[in-house]
Amino acid sequence: VRIPIGQGFAGRIAAERVAIFIADVDHADILNPILREKGIHSLLGVPLIVEGDLIGVLHVGSLKPRTFGPVDVAVLQVAAARAAPGIERARLFSALEHEHRVAMLLQRSLLPKRLVDVMGVSTAARYLPASDEVGGDWYDVFHLPHGRLGIAIGDVVGHGVKAAALMGQLRTALHAYAIEDHSPGRTLAMVDRFLDGMPGYEIATAAYAVLDPESGALRLASAGHLPPIVVGDGAARVVELTPAPPLGAFPYGRSQEHEMSLAAGEMLVFYTDGLVERPKIPLTQSIRELVDVVRAASSAEEACQLAVEGLVPDEGLRDDVAIVAMQHNELPAELSMRLPADPRVLADVRRVLRRWLRSRGADDQDAARITLSVNEACTNAIEHAYSPAPADFELRASATDGDVTIVVSDAGRWRTARGPSRGHGLAMIDAAMDEVEINSGVTGTEVVMRKRVQA
Amino acid sequence: VRLADVQFSDHGRGAVVGLTGEIDLSNAEGMRRAIARAIPNHAVVLILDLSEVDFLDSAGIQLIYQLREDLRARGQVLQLVVGSTSPTHDALTLAGVTHHVEIVETLDDALRASRAVGGERDSPHGP
Repeated sequence: VRIPIGQGFAGRIAAERVAIFIADVDHADILNPILREKGIHSLLGVPLIVEGDLIGVLHVGSLKPRTFGPVDVAVLQVAAARAAPGIERARLFSALEHEHRVAMLLQRSLLPKRLVDVMGVSTAARYLPASDEVGGDWYDVFHLPHGRLGIAIGDVVGHGVKAAALMGQLRTALHAYAIEDHSPGRTLAMVDRFLDGMPGYEIATAAYAVLDPESGALRLASAGHLPPIVVGDGAARVVELTPAPPLGAFPYGRSQEHEMSLAAGEMLVFYTDGLVERPKIPLTQSIRELVDVVRAASSAEEACQLAVEGLVPDEGLRDDVAIVAMQHNELPAELSMRLPADPRVLADVRRVLRRWLRSRGADDQDAARITLSVNEACTNAIEHAYSPAPADFELRASATDGDVTIVVSDAGRWRTARGPSRGHGLAMIDAAMDEVEINSGVTGTEVVMRKRVQA
Repeated sequence: VRLADVQFSDHGRGAVVGLTGEIDLSNAEGMRRAIARAIPNHAVVLILDLSEVDFLDSAGIQLIYQLREDLRARGQVLQLVVGSTSPTHDALTLAGVTHHVEIVETLDDALRASRAVGGERDSPHGP
């Protein structure tokens, strides 16, 4: 039921802020049908006021005709004065709680649902909300042109829905600039310019790195963010970066880029200040603690887990925390993978294979030719498309004394060329490899390719 | 992120289609359709610039041959641009494309040649 201010019984009390007595409900201007339905005969109402603001109306009624005298009015006014602040507190609390829930939901929806999944690289992340407030921490991991991967972290100063919403905008802006293939420093400078154009005065820190999984080359830049940690082989170290000012702090800030490389097995760990900021403990000391804790991690997932276990206090967090880690996995001496028969896996296969071939001593031209041949054999396995049902195929690669052998096998038959321009695949494999064998049987097709890669 | 991108530019008699990135089974057909839709009628030569292509496989070669057929039906000629030391050139050589489609080293060479074609609308390579 909605009663307009100034109309009906409660509406008039609210508008005029006076006590009103109605002796006979039947013959009065009553808008609330509930009062009539309940058979109420007489009514007395007073306004509920908190610090001069009207927050509601308190009324009592009787089923029999009754007169409410000055004493009744006084008693009801005292009751209203006592109740009003409590009611207001409860209302505010539920509004706050609602905002908290909304902010929480927003925060969750703005973080990646799942991280990218690429052969040869593994990633893991955590977001931990503060015990009482929602913050503006975020992380992101995404694909970039030429098979590179981007990893980002950021922290919007402030809390609540506003910080969470800005976080979402910055995360999107960074991703959008990054996929245009700008370098980390340039990307952060562009996000800074984007923030500069936003209404209001906001500040955020962020760090962004680009990994080339084929070579392990890593470029990173920071805008006022805490230094990342590199973990590998039982050791960990802080990457000493020269950070640019935070985003939104000074216009025309420029990020210095840092170039390094991740050896096979090494990982980069980004985190936000909520993980290391503790009262009365210098930041350098708690970062050192973090380094000590993540040292033992052998995977990105384990690094996140150790960081949370080692640094998040039992009583909960005062500030939210984001952690994201990316590991440049060690490739085994022999590759063996089962892949879905989906053309989109081809690019990943080529990247992991090139990296593996390089580790086996292949030069650029041999690596390119073997990769092309394997790509053709995989294409054929995918094109077999036995049925619309999901299918998969296998790829195995090994090398002995400079002789690379690669086997691609599936449960279909080698597809013969269709049309005049088909069949280039096999011709290319023939021309590019030293030896090719196609074993086709009832259980499937196996393409065995060999090439010598060392002089 | 997209594996490859296409850029179109019109140079009068020569229409240039620049490909960047990697071309394989996942995107070759979509690319061929995008190119076929974008060919201007007034162009005599379609210059397919592969200089910035990182990878090209049999699906990409299929694209080239089909494009050549599409163009031939319209009385237009296909010319490829790719540096002779690039892996893309190596793939074209392995597949024998170099025997069937004219390839020049640089886009400038291709544009100069397209201006020299004059009013001739016949394919210099014949059917």
